[in-house]
Amino acid sequence: MDTSAMAETDAPVDLTDALRRCAREEHQALRLILENEGGRMLGIAQRMLHRRDLAEEAVQESMVQIWRKAHQFRAGEGSARGWIFAILRNRCLNILRDGRRLESLPSETLTAMQDARLEAAGAGLDALGDRVALKDCLTGLEPATRRAILLAYVGGFTHGEIAAIQSVPLGTCKSWIRRGLDLLRRCLS
Amino acid sequence: MSADLDGKADAFVLGLLDERAQAELEVEMERDPNWCAAVARARDRMLPLDLTAAVLPGAAALWDGIVPLLAERRPVSPVQPSVANQPRPPRRWVPAGIAAAIGILAGAVLGGTWLVPDPVVVAVLVDEAGNPTAVVEDFGAADARIRFVSGVDVPDDRQMQVWTLPSAKMGPVSLGLLTGPQGTELDPPRLPAPTNGQLYEITLEPLGGSPTGRPTGRILAKGLAARQDEI
Repeated sequence: MDTSAMAETDAPVDLTDALRRCAREEHQALRLILENEGGRMLGIAQRMLHRRDLAEEAVQESMVQIWRKAHQFRAGEGSARGWIFAILRNRCLNILRDGRRLESLPSETLTAMQDARLEAAGAGLDALGDRVALKDCLTGLEPATRRAILLAYVGGFTHGEIAAIQSVPLGTCKSWIRRGLDLLRRCLS
Repeated sequence: MSADLDGKADAFVLGLLDERAQAELEVEMERDPNWCAAVARARDRMLPLDLTAAVLPGAAALWDGIVPLLAERRPVSPVQPSVANQPRPPRRWVPAGIAAAIGILAGAVLGGTWLVPDPVVVAVLVDEAGNPTAVVEDFGAADARIRFVSGVDVPDDRQMQVWTLPSAKMGPVSLGLLTGPQGTELDPPRLPAPTNGQLYEITLEPLGGSPTGRPTGRILAKGLAARQDEI
């Protein structure tokens, strides 16, 4: 088990308890989540969306979703933090994949957004702490496979976009990612 | 735990599945503890990458914008039917599919009788979080209906408008304006027969409808059609 990552998974506040209290409609518990995790959430959102206003919108809407769905969180099935960040990532992906929404942005913004996502994905491996098992397991993958997985997770790119970035057929890209994720799972288990 | 389930969970967590699969599997999490656990494992495997993001200042200042949204949007239950004449809760059949399965039930559900014509296509519209919001049944021949399966918030100065995209060439076409989240007949123009995978969506438009004849406001929910003769 990835002990160093798990250690960091434990937030300074008890997020599981905070979610339980959100399910009981205690505003203060949601505020606690925002105060403790909001900074990181803004960082994740800004890494994917580049623009501060979009990142703030994603975090704000995610907090509302967390409030609405808190009763669905099952303690014991994964970390509360992973559950919270997943809601944020989904919101970011929805913004990224809303063609009409993106059409309203200036082309230079879209270019900057794309560049920032590529850069973040490129930096993803090095940013992991040395004692994090995921880093060792990612390092053990073929470079192209590793990059494809980081482009998907950190940059929020789709299969099609990743295939284009890596100049490989879509089928090849899908197969790299699927095999890479299988290897990661085995490595981490 | 099966490798297939974990592989699917990885793809789901990375956001690599198509829009419909992603939405259906999101719903499935409320029904299937094994799937839910596989997704949770996949999330926690990748979580260290989230923790490499910078911690940015200013998050606490978002609180004032969040609070007003909490009171109105809290559903009473995960999916609360808002149409009175449904014989069973929508949670029983929305996840199952699958628009196709919904279509089979639709005749009985809508009219209380099987003597209702079958729709040509059924589209389950989901919100940005993947929650089923409404079901559109398009019978072709300028006849379509919409039913809501969860509550929606519509500001006083906005109105819901339903759209479809028969083809890229035609662009989006309005199927009608809604006054509230009740099951309702739509008023579509005569269009080519609806096809598998055709896009349907609801947007929030100014009162009286979109001023441009095309969607201009926020998308409340969207989904792709499934032809009922291809089940």
